Amino acid sequence: MNTASEPTSVRLSAKANTILAQMKEDSYLAEMSDGYRLGIALALSQAITPPELPPDSKTFIAVSGLDPEQEIATAIRALVSLEGQSVYRYAERLADWGVMHMHEQFKGGQLDVSALIGNLVKTGS
Amino acid sequence: MILHTLTSSNFMPYKGKMSIAFPTNKDQNVMLVYGDNMRGKTSLLNALRWVFYGKAVGRHSREIPLFELMNKDAALEGDWSMEVAATFESDGHRYELRRTVNKRAYVATPSRSEDLEVVRAMRKDDIALPEHLIDSEINRFAPEQTSRFFLFDGELLDEYEQLLIDGSEQSKKIKEAIEQALGVPTLIRGRDDAGTILKQAQKQQSLDLQKLGGLEEHANKQKFHQTQIDSIEDDLAELNVRLRSVTEERMALDDDLEKTEALYQAKQKLTDTKAAEYKNEADQAQLNAERLVHIKDAWREIVRPLLTIKREHLHKENTQLTEQMFARNHVVTQIAQLKEAMKSDKCQTCGQSLHEKERAAAGALLGTLESDLLGMKVNQASFNLISSEIQALDKLLKPTNAALIPQLDKQIAKLRVEQTQIGNAIEKLNDIVQGQDTAEIARQRAKRDGLIREATRISEDIKTAQANLDKHEKDLAMISKVLQSLPTARAQKSTQLVNISSALEKIYARSIDRLRNDLKLSVERLASAAFKKLTTQGLYSGLRINSNYGLTILDERGQEVTVRSAGAEQIVALSLIDGLAHAGRSAGPVVMDTPFGRLDPKHRSNILSYLPTTTPQLVLFVHEGEVNRTTDLAGLGSKIGAVYEIQEVSPRHSRIQKVTQ
Repeated sequence: MNTASEPTSVRLSAKANTILAQMKEDSYLAEMSDGYRLGIALALSQAITPPELPPDSKTFIAVSGLDPEQEIATAIRALVSLEGQSVYRYAERLADWGVMHMHEQFKGGQLDVSALIGNLVKTGS
Repeated sequence: MILHTLTSSNFMPYKGKMSIAFPTNKDQNVMLVYGDNMRGKTSLLNALRWVFYGKAVGRHSREIPLFELMNKDAALEGDWSMEVAATFESDGHRYELRRTVNKRAYVATPSRSEDLEVVRAMRKDDIALPEHLIDSEINRFAPEQTSRFFLFDGELLDEYEQLLIDGSEQSKKIKEAIEQALGVPTLIRGRDDAGTILKQAQKQQSLDLQKLGGLEEHANKQKFHQTQIDSIEDDLAELNVRLRSVTEERMALDDDLEKTEALYQAKQKLTDTKAAEYKNEADQAQLNAERLVHIKDAWREIVRPLLTIKREHLHKENTQLTEQMFARNHVVTQIAQLKEAMKSDKCQTCGQSLHEKERAAAGALLGTLESDLLGMKVNQASFNLISSEIQALDKLLKPTNAALIPQLDKQIAKLRVEQTQIGNAIEKLNDIVQGQDTAEIARQRAKRDGLIREATRISEDIKTAQANLDKHEKDLAMISKVLQSLPTARAQKSTQLVNISSALEKIYARSIDRLRNDLKLSVERLASAAFKKLTTQGLYSGLRINSNYGLTILDERGQEVTVRSAGAEQIVALSLIDGLAHAGRSAGPVVMDTPFGRLDPKHRSNILSYLPTTTPQLVLFVHEGEVNRTTDLAGLGSKIGAVYEIQEVSPRHSRIQKVTQ
């Protein structure tokens, strides 16, 4: 299996970036990177195949800052068959989709993290 | 006296004409006037009080200014006239008493009592009486001093309970009022006059004695004490005036503060609610901060369910690989053992020779095992990879505080609901407080507290001055005694006058004591008789009166009942009023405003049965809660001569209508 070289930073579309900035301003997030991770997790939990990033995407954060223990990478690798794709390139697609989805889901209201992890609570896992 | 009619025009809430006719049949001598609170029951009582005595009283027996008696609606319409008239009979004569108010000629729009003019007129057997004779005529059958016993409201009943508290300001005032009604002040004035004569005689005596040789020292001492007494008496008079003024000012403030109490409470509540709002916001901020910290790890919770399944799969795979490795190792061991055994023709365990047949079977087994081993391939790299993946996932699946977020969200949601409720409460309280000068209320409260302290201080000064006065009077009396024993002094005319006026003062003092004692016994007897009729406790033997005219209940052994209910207090107060009414004047009508507030049905029934038998006319201003038309009047039905009902037209306009029985 060929392993793609990993980037040192991850990117995000302009729109998703604006959404995260707004979430931080609204005090739903302490850091925009927390929302980025939530986006990845949401996309992973929905088992979607994320689309490619739009061309206006820009560098968001260094990989070392986002995932210092490579735990996100581990989670992605555990749940997705990357087939030679770079895990962090895949992570940024997941994040972008997840952030847009969160925005869509909680439009006009607050970021309901409890709803995102609701199933977990209900089952008492 | 028997009341016939009461009519009014624009008096208090009774805009326009109001008229009621009292029952004059002695067998049907009870009149009931029903009205809810704030409709005008007390105003009817005040109409009677005003037409007879020119006074209307509000809370705490404070006089209501004339301007406030005018109906506000009529005044707004420019009608500044008011009138109350009563017709009645007494000693076989018919009377009509009328008080009329109009604005003064030069006043365009009255704004105070001084802008109004009162005219009084009385007709006796249709002949107009001169103004200067009206008061003496009224005093013949309804002196003002006794009016509190036949024109009284429920609030007064509470005042009478104060009589049991010795030395209280209230009890002193009521005692004075009671003695006024019973005629004690006549003797008190006589004693005071004798005291004044005595004092003048003593002064003259001092002057006379100074002229006599050898008595100068006595004269000087006497003069000294007289000067001291005069000075202390002036001080005492001044202190008493000041105490009355401070007390009146405090009572006025109390009344004002009572009105603003709701506002003050609202202000206090607003402060508390704002503090609660602040705390709520702080709690929310703290929980939100905690939540933000936990959100950092929330991504783990979102993927936890899938990662848990993934781990279970890997674990299963790992278990299978382990089992395969065990099975392969087992075969490898078997092959090695068989190969070793095949090297010799003896059994390695027991040493016996092996048969060819057994060696052939072992060889066949070895071959089968070697063949099986070829198919038993274990991917060690996969095993290692899966193990490492499991290890990584275990690390990811460690519990995090993000699981607490739903709990925190619930707490925050609860606080937000509370915040909304607090916000609504603050809005309501702001509406109440808005535009009100709460600083002024606080100032009044502080001033009231200051006046209470001032009254206490003045009372102490009065006590000290009184003790000082007593001392000088005793010293003066001692000198008088000494002078009486000296022939030269005794021969003086002024000394004889001192002796006479001193004896006169003593006679008055003793008479006051005797009168008080007789009156108390008389009131005690009359009140006890009334009490026995009114109480539902048959074992009580009567009432005992104290020096303040306060009454205590006596049980069947003649022992005082120390603990009594609010209802019992009211019965005792009613008994006292009945006793005082009969001890102090000839029988006349009794008008009671809201007298049954705290009484149970049995006591109400007793009062309704008893009072009509002791008075020629009983007029009761009541609300439905006090006297139920269907149940409470059962035993009184035949006694009722008239029933009226007060109806509200607007908050400033009531009217009264006769109810058909």
